[in-house]
Amino acid sequence: MAIGRAARRRLTIQLVSVGRPQAEARPHRPVRGDTASRRWVEQLHAGHPRHEVAAAKLHDVLQRAAIHELHRRPGQLAALRGPELDDVAQQCADDAMMKILARIDHFEGRSRFTTWAYKFVIFEVSNKVARHAWQHHPPSAEELEWDQLPDTLAAKPGDQAERREQLATLTKAIEHDLTPRQREVFVAIALNDVAIDVLALQLGSNRNAIYKNLFDAKRKLRACLAAAGHPITSDERAHP
Amino acid sequence: MTDLRDLDELLRAQEGDAGCDAGVPIMDQYVEIELRGEDPSERFPGTAIHLRVCPGCRADHDGVLEAARRFGDLDPE
Repeated sequence: MAIGRAARRRLTIQLVSVGRPQAEARPHRPVRGDTASRRWVEQLHAGHPRHEVAAAKLHDVLQRAAIHELHRRPGQLAALRGPELDDVAQQCADDAMMKILARIDHFEGRSRFTTWAYKFVIFEVSNKVARHAWQHHPPSAEELEWDQLPDTLAAKPGDQAERREQLATLTKAIEHDLTPRQREVFVAIALNDVAIDVLALQLGSNRNAIYKNLFDAKRKLRACLAAAGHPITSDERAHP
Repeated sequence: MTDLRDLDELLRAQEGDAGCDAGVPIMDQYVEIELRGEDPSERFPGTAIHLRVCPGCRADHDGVLEAARRFGDLDPE
Protein backbone atom coordinates (compact mmCIF):
# COMPACT_ATOMS: atom_id res chain seq x y z
CA MET A 1 0.00 0.00 0.00
CA ALA A 2 1.41 3.38 -1.05
CA ILE A 3 1.80 5.94 1.75
CA GLY A 4 1.46 9.59 0.83
CA ARG A 5 3.98 12.25 1.79
CA ALA A 6 1.72 13.75 4.47
CA ALA A 7 1.01 10.33 5.96
CA ARG A 8 4.71 9.47 5.94
CA ARG A 9 5.42 12.75 7.75
CA ARG A 10 2.75 11.97 10.38
CA LEU A 11 4.22 8.47 10.83
CA THR A 12 7.72 9.91 11.22
CA ILE A 13 6.50 12.40 13.81
CA GLN A 14 4.66 9.64 15.67
CA LEU A 15 7.75 7.39 15.70
CA VAL A 16 9.93 10.24 16.92
CA SER A 17 7.37 11.02 19.61
CA VAL A 18 7.26 7.41 20.78
CA GLY A 19 11.03 7.04 20.68
CA ARG A 20 11.87 10.11 22.73
CA PRO A 21 10.87 10.82 26.31
CA GLN A 22 8.40 13.66 26.37
CA ALA A 23 8.41 16.81 28.43
CA GLU A 24 4.67 16.20 28.93
CA ALA A 25 5.50 12.73 30.28
CA ARG A 26 6.80 14.34 33.47
CA PRO A 27 5.10 12.56 36.38
CA HIS A 28 1.94 14.08 37.73
CA ARG A 29 2.80 12.88 41.22
CA PRO A 30 5.70 14.41 43.11
CA VAL A 31 9.04 12.67 42.48
CA ARG A 32 9.94 10.50 45.48
CA GLY A 33 13.29 9.71 47.04
CA ASP A 34 16.25 11.60 48.42
CA THR A 35 17.30 14.98 47.05
CA ALA A 36 19.87 13.65 44.54
CA SER A 37 17.43 11.02 43.28
CA ARG A 38 14.71 13.62 42.77
CA ARG A 39 17.18 15.77 40.82
CA TRP A 40 18.10 12.87 38.58
CA VAL A 41 14.49 12.09 37.75
CA GLU A 42 13.57 15.72 37.11
CA GLN A 43 16.63 16.47 34.99
CA LEU A 44 16.44 13.28 32.93
CA HIS A 45 13.04 14.27 31.59
CA ALA A 46 13.29 15.62 28.05
CA GLY A 47 12.65 19.31 28.07
CA HIS A 48 14.50 19.96 31.32
CA PRO A 49 17.25 22.55 30.75
CA ARG A 50 19.86 20.19 32.23
CA HIS A 51 18.65 17.06 30.43
CA GLU A 52 21.65 16.66 28.14
CA VAL A 53 24.16 17.20 30.95
CA ALA A 54 22.40 14.79 33.32
CA ALA A 55 22.00 12.14 30.61
CA ALA A 56 25.68 12.39 29.66
CA LYS A 57 26.76 12.11 33.31
CA LEU A 58 24.58 9.07 33.89
CA HIS A 59 25.75 7.40 30.68
CA ASP A 60 29.36 7.96 31.69
CA VAL A 61 28.97 6.26 35.07
CA LEU A 62 26.90 3.43 33.56
CA GLN A 63 29.67 2.77 31.05
CA ARG A 64 32.31 2.72 33.80
CA ALA A 65 30.14 0.34 35.82
CA ALA A 66 29.75 -1.88 32.73
CA ILE A 67 33.51 -2.00 32.13
CA HIS A 68 34.11 -2.91 35.77
CA GLU A 69 31.44 -5.62 35.64
CA LEU A 70 32.81 -7.10 32.40
CA HIS A 71 36.22 -7.38 34.07
CA ARG A 72 34.54 -8.97 37.09
CA ARG A 73 33.14 -11.78 34.90
CA PRO A 74 36.24 -12.89 32.99
CA GLY A 75 35.39 -16.59 32.81
CA GLN A 76 32.75 -16.21 30.12
CA LEU A 77 34.55 -13.50 28.14
CA ALA A 78 37.96 -15.01 27.57
CA ALA A 79 38.06 -13.95 23.92
CA LEU A 80 37.07 -10.32 24.54
CA ARG A 81 39.77 -7.73 25.16
CA GLY A 82 40.63 -4.06 24.69
CA PRO A 83 38.47 -2.16 22.19
CA GLU A 84 36.02 -5.06 21.84
CA LEU A 85 35.41 -5.06 25.57
CA ASP A 86 34.96 -1.28 25.55
CA ASP A 87 32.50 -1.63 22.69
CA VAL A 88 30.41 -4.15 24.64
CA ALA A 89 30.50 -1.82 27.67
CA GLN A 90 29.27 1.04 25.50
CA GLN A 91 26.43 -1.11 24.16
CA CYS A 92 25.46 -2.09 27.71
CA ALA A 93 25.43 1.57 28.80
CA ASP A 94 23.43 2.61 25.70
CA ASP A 95 20.82 -0.11 26.20
CA ALA A 96 20.57 0.53 29.94
CA MET A 97 20.20 4.25 29.29
CA MET A 98 17.30 3.67 26.88
CA LYS A 99 15.50 1.49 29.41
CA ILE A 100 16.10 3.93 32.25
CA LEU A 101 14.73 6.87 30.24
CA ALA A 102 11.73 4.82 29.16
CA ARG A 103 10.98 3.84 32.76
CA ILE A 104 11.97 7.06 34.48
CA ASP A 105 8.44 7.63 35.75
CA HIS A 106 8.43 4.15 37.29
CA PHE A 107 11.18 5.09 39.74
CA GLU A 108 9.50 5.05 43.14
CA GLY A 109 12.31 6.28 45.34
CA ARG A 110 12.54 3.00 47.26
CA SER A 111 16.32 3.07 46.68
CA ARG A 112 18.73 5.75 45.56
CA PHE A 113 18.30 6.56 41.89
CA THR A 114 21.84 5.54 41.03
CA THR A 115 21.46 2.09 42.62
CA TRP A 116 18.24 1.65 40.64
CA ALA A 117 20.12 2.70 37.47
CA TYR A 118 23.09 0.37 38.14
CA LYS A 119 20.65 -2.52 38.22
CA PHE A 120 19.77 -1.89 34.55
CA VAL A 121 23.36 -1.83 33.36
CA ILE A 122 24.35 -4.93 35.35
CA PHE A 123 21.43 -6.85 33.84
CA GLU A 124 22.56 -5.71 30.38
CA VAL A 125 26.08 -6.98 31.09
CA SER A 126 24.67 -10.26 32.36
CA ASN A 127 22.60 -10.76 29.20
CA LYS A 128 25.41 -9.85 26.82
CA VAL A 129 27.99 -12.01 28.63
CA ALA A 130 25.63 -15.01 28.47
CA ARG A 131 24.92 -14.45 24.78
CA HIS A 132 28.64 -14.13 24.02
CA ALA A 133 29.41 -17.34 25.94
CA TRP A 134 26.58 -19.20 24.20
CA GLN A 135 27.65 -18.04 20.73
CA HIS A 136 31.28 -18.99 21.27
CA HIS A 137 30.90 -22.06 23.50
CA PRO A 138 27.40 -23.54 23.26
CA PRO A 139 26.80 -26.58 25.49
CA SER A 140 27.92 -29.82 23.87
CA ALA A 141 25.63 -32.80 23.36
CA GLU A 142 27.55 -34.60 26.12
CA GLU A 143 26.75 -31.81 28.56
CA LEU A 144 23.02 -32.03 27.87
CA GLU A 145 22.42 -35.75 27.57
CA TRP A 146 22.19 -38.12 30.49
CA ASP A 147 24.87 -40.78 30.57
CA GLN A 148 25.95 -41.57 34.09
CA LEU A 149 26.87 -39.85 37.34
CA PRO A 150 30.17 -37.97 37.08
CA ASP A 151 33.25 -39.58 38.60
CA THR A 152 33.13 -37.21 41.58
CA LEU A 153 29.77 -38.68 42.59
CA ALA A 154 29.98 -42.24 41.30
CA ALA A 155 30.35 -45.09 43.77
CA LYS A 156 33.93 -46.12 44.50
CA PRO A 157 35.28 -49.59 45.33
CA GLY A 158 35.66 -48.77 49.03
CA ASP A 159 32.18 -47.25 49.46
CA GLN A 160 29.79 -48.83 51.89
CA ALA A 161 26.77 -50.72 50.59
CA GLU A 162 24.40 -47.97 51.77
CA ARG A 163 26.23 -45.36 49.73
CA ARG A 164 26.19 -47.61 46.67
CA GLU A 165 22.43 -48.14 47.04
CA GLN A 166 21.89 -44.43 47.49
CA LEU A 167 23.74 -43.58 44.28
CA ALA A 168 21.97 -46.40 42.41
CA THR A 169 18.63 -44.95 43.53
CA LEU A 170 19.70 -41.49 42.41
CA THR A 171 20.77 -42.83 39.01
CA LYS A 172 17.48 -44.65 38.56
CA ALA A 173 15.49 -41.57 39.60
CA ILE A 174 17.35 -39.36 37.09
CA GLU A 175 16.59 -41.88 34.36
CA HIS A 176 12.96 -42.66 35.18
CA ASP A 177 11.39 -40.05 37.46
CA LEU A 178 12.38 -36.74 35.88
CA THR A 179 10.60 -35.31 32.85
CA PRO A 180 12.82 -35.03 29.76
CA ARG A 181 13.17 -31.25 30.31
CA GLN A 182 13.96 -31.68 34.03
CA ARG A 183 16.57 -34.32 33.18
CA GLU A 184 18.17 -32.14 30.49
CA VAL A 185 18.36 -29.12 32.82
CA PHE A 186 19.60 -31.12 35.82
CA VAL A 187 22.27 -32.92 33.79
CA ALA A 188 23.51 -29.70 32.18
CA ILE A 189 23.55 -27.41 35.23
CA ALA A 190 23.94 -29.67 38.28
CA LEU A 191 26.18 -32.34 36.79
CA ASN A 192 28.08 -30.51 34.03
CA ASP A 193 28.24 -26.91 35.32
CA VAL A 194 26.64 -25.32 32.26
CA ALA A 195 25.76 -21.70 33.15
CA ILE A 196 22.01 -21.25 33.64
CA ASP A 197 21.76 -18.32 31.19
CA VAL A 198 23.73 -20.18 28.52
CA LEU A 199 21.40 -23.15 28.86
CA ALA A 200 18.38 -20.83 28.72
CA LEU A 201 19.62 -19.43 25.39
CA GLN A 202 20.37 -22.92 24.08
CA LEU A 203 16.85 -24.11 24.92
CA GLY A 204 15.10 -20.89 23.81
CA SER A 205 13.89 -20.30 27.34
CA ASN A 206 14.70 -17.87 30.16
CA ARG A 207 16.55 -18.00 33.46
CA ASN A 208 13.45 -18.15 35.65
CA ALA A 209 11.86 -21.03 33.72
CA ILE A 210 15.10 -23.03 33.68
CA TYR A 211 15.58 -22.42 37.40
CA LYS A 212 12.06 -23.73 38.04
CA ASN A 213 12.86 -26.88 36.02
CA LEU A 214 16.04 -27.37 38.06
CA PHE A 215 14.29 -26.70 41.38
CA ASP A 216 11.53 -29.20 40.59
CA ALA A 217 14.07 -31.80 39.46
CA LYS A 218 16.03 -31.50 42.70
CA ARG A 219 12.89 -31.75 44.84
CA LYS A 220 11.80 -34.84 42.93
CA LEU A 221 15.19 -36.53 43.29
CA ARG A 222 15.28 -35.79 47.02
CA ALA A 223 11.79 -37.24 47.39
CA CYS A 224 12.81 -40.37 45.45
CA LEU A 225 15.85 -40.87 47.68
CA ALA A 226 13.77 -40.41 50.84
CA ALA A 227 11.03 -42.75 49.58
CA ALA A 228 13.66 -45.43 48.84
CA GLY A 229 15.02 -45.18 52.39
CA HIS A 230 18.01 -42.94 51.60
CA PRO A 231 17.11 -39.51 52.98
CA ILE A 232 19.83 -36.88 52.75
CA THR A 233 19.02 -34.77 55.79
CA SER A 234 17.79 -35.61 59.27
CA ASP A 235 14.64 -33.64 58.51
CA GLU A 236 13.92 -35.86 55.52
CA ARG A 237 14.51 -38.86 57.78
CA ALA A 238 11.93 -37.53 60.23
CA HIS A 239 9.43 -36.46 57.56
CA PRO A 240 9.98 -38.68 54.52
CA MET B 1 29.14 -37.51 56.04
CA THR B 2 31.12 -35.75 53.34
CA ASP B 3 29.26 -37.72 50.69
CA LEU B 4 25.89 -36.77 52.18
CA ARG B 5 26.94 -33.11 52.28
CA ASP B 6 27.90 -33.35 48.59
CA LEU B 7 24.50 -34.76 47.72
CA ASP B 8 22.76 -32.19 49.92
CA GLU B 9 24.56 -29.44 48.01
CA LEU B 10 23.89 -31.02 44.61
CA LEU B 11 20.17 -31.36 45.33
CA ARG B 12 19.69 -28.13 47.29
CA ALA B 13 16.14 -26.86 46.71
CA GLN B 14 14.94 -24.92 49.71
CA GLU B 15 11.31 -24.24 50.56
CA GLY B 16 10.48 -20.55 50.24
CA ASP B 17 12.85 -19.87 47.34
CA ALA B 18 11.34 -16.88 45.51
CA GLY B 19 12.89 -17.76 42.12
CA CYS B 20 14.73 -15.54 39.67
CA ASP B 21 12.01 -13.12 38.54
CA ALA B 22 11.04 -12.03 42.06
CA GLY B 23 14.49 -10.53 42.65
CA VAL B 24 14.57 -8.32 39.56
CA PRO B 25 12.31 -5.47 40.70
CA ILE B 26 13.68 -5.37 44.25
CA MET B 27 17.41 -5.93 43.62
CA ASP B 28 18.26 -2.24 44.17
CA GLN B 29 16.35 -2.16 47.47
CA TYR B 30 17.95 -5.45 48.55
CA VAL B 31 21.43 -4.06 47.88
CA GLU B 32 20.75 -0.80 49.71
CA ILE B 33 19.67 -2.68 52.83
CA GLU B 34 23.02 -4.48 52.71
CA LEU B 35 24.89 -1.21 52.18
CA ARG B 36 23.28 0.10 55.38
CA GLY B 37 24.70 -2.94 57.19
CA GLU B 38 21.27 -4.47 57.72
CA ASP B 39 19.96 -7.94 56.91
CA PRO B 40 17.86 -8.02 53.70
CA SER B 41 16.55 -11.52 54.49
CA GLU B 42 14.13 -10.02 57.02
CA ARG B 43 12.34 -8.02 54.32
CA PHE B 44 13.02 -10.29 51.34
CA PRO B 45 13.36 -13.83 52.77
CA GLY B 46 12.51 -15.61 49.49
CA THR B 47 15.14 -13.72 47.52
CA ALA B 48 17.73 -14.24 50.27
CA ILE B 49 17.19 -18.00 49.96
CA HIS B 50 17.30 -17.79 46.18
CA LEU B 51 20.57 -15.85 46.05
CA ARG B 52 22.29 -18.59 48.07
CA VAL B 53 21.40 -21.17 45.41
CA CYS B 54 21.19 -19.47 41.98
CA PRO B 55 24.63 -18.51 40.60
CA GLY B 56 23.14 -16.36 37.82
CA CYS B 57 21.13 -14.16 40.18
CA ARG B 58 23.96 -14.11 42.71
CA ALA B 59 26.34 -12.76 40.04
CA ASP B 60 23.85 -10.02 39.14
CA HIS B 61 23.33 -9.15 42.80
CA ASP B 62 27.07 -8.99 43.39
CA GLY B 63 27.44 -6.73 40.35
CA VAL B 64 24.81 -4.25 41.55
CA LEU B 65 26.30 -4.25 45.05
CA GLU B 66 29.81 -3.72 43.66
CA ALA B 67 28.66 -0.88 41.35
CA ALA B 68 26.80 0.87 44.17
CA ARG B 69 29.85 0.54 46.45
CA ARG B 70 32.47 1.51 43.89
CA PHE B 71 30.71 4.26 41.96
CA GLY B 72 28.64 5.41 44.90
CA ASP B 73 25.87 7.88 44.97
CA LEU B 74 26.15 10.68 42.41
CA ASP B 75 24.34 13.95 42.09
CA PRO B 76 23.51 15.10 38.57
CA GLU B 77 24.82 18.58 39.37
